[in-house]
Amino acid sequence: MGVSQDKSGFADFFADSWEPCLTVVAASTGNMALAEDQVAEAFARAWASWAKVSRHPAPRAWVVRTALNTGASWWHRRGRETPLADHDIVASRSQGNGLDAVVLTALRRLPARQREVIVLRVFLDLDIGTTARQLGIAPGTVRAHQARAMTALRRELTAARATTEME
Amino acid sequence: MMNDHEQINDSVLTRELRESLTGIAAPQRPPLETITARGRAYWRHRLTGIAGLSASGIAAGAALVLGLTGVLGPAPARGTGTIRTAAFILVKHANGTATLTINPRELLDTAALQNDLKQDGIPALVTSGSFCSSDPAPAGFSQVVSFYPSLPRSGFLRVPKDVHPTITFNPAAMPAGAELSFGDFQLSSRQQADFMLVNTSSYTCTSTPPSGGLPGPGAQFQVDPPGPAGS
Repeated sequence: MGVSQDKSGFADFFADSWEPCLTVVAASTGNMALAEDQVAEAFARAWASWAKVSRHPAPRAWVVRTALNTGASWWHRRGRETPLADHDIVASRSQGNGLDAVVLTALRRLPARQREVIVLRVFLDLDIGTTARQLGIAPGTVRAHQARAMTALRRELTAARATTEME
Repeated sequence: MMNDHEQINDSVLTRELRESLTGIAAPQRPPLETITARGRAYWRHRLTGIAGLSASGIAAGAALVLGLTGVLGPAPARGTGTIRTAAFILVKHANGTATLTINPRELLDTAALQNDLKQDGIPALVTSGSFCSSDPAPAGFSQVVSFYPSLPRSGFLRVPKDVHPTITFNPAAMPAGAELSFGDFQLSSRQQADFMLVNTSSYTCTSTPPSGGLPGPGAQFQVDPPGPAGS
């Protein structure tokens, strides 16, 4: 069974993918300490199921989705949403215009499914088909979620830019 | 009302989304051993669940777990092994390091942990309701222990309550005449764990939980208490 199987390639995958996966999950959740734990748990599960994950068409997406699902259950057990005012990773190296923080905050305001689509399509650059398979939904549904998410993000970013220019 | 800003197109927005990730400073990657130890623990947890759910009888479940012992704790390399209790999992690795994962929901058996650490080559002073320190503290704390989740520079970390902190020890880096002090405090509002190196022959202990920082290089975790049943 899983643990006894060949783990070759996992160390390289872990080394190459830790930071990209962590930043994506942290961006989605807004809590770096929690994201670290979620991503570590996801990599641990990837290690335990490496025979399967190594053949996955998008192993990083598997890790990110597993991490986000771990976090979702963490929050669901508490029966509340991620508190937006409590995030501790607001762009520490923002470009001076505050838009990084605005973008990340807007991202976390999206409904969970729309956020997942943005994570997979935009951050992990997966195509529509792979995203659909990863989420277990139809390609048309992926397009619809993405369109709604982009509209919402565009609206938030536009408002933030207008405010910045007025100040 | 329309304005020029509403002309942000999808490619611009996509770029800005991707660029926003560069503003996130990711902590250092944990050691691979931390992940693999956790992966083994995950497998054990799953297998225990599978065995527990087996309607065909305890014997079948036991056979499954026993049958997998060789898989999970695989041909343990010489000097390696795993000690698992309700409160902690201590995994010794072939490279001499050891990883301790703590379950903050369980009461810590300090004597058992101290003994287990000693067996893994880590001299430690594990106390409950008190904390021991030396002034000055021996140097080299950050070479002996590393923490996950990563510690900020302040050495203080508030741990979300469902996160199990992991500590990796490198006994080879322990200074001569020093040991690790690990104080566990079960306070009314939180659990607190403090870590420092102490001189084996010269240290003092206090039952007052350190607050406002430790008296030298070290680490302090605070964990929220468990939530209400079913949370």
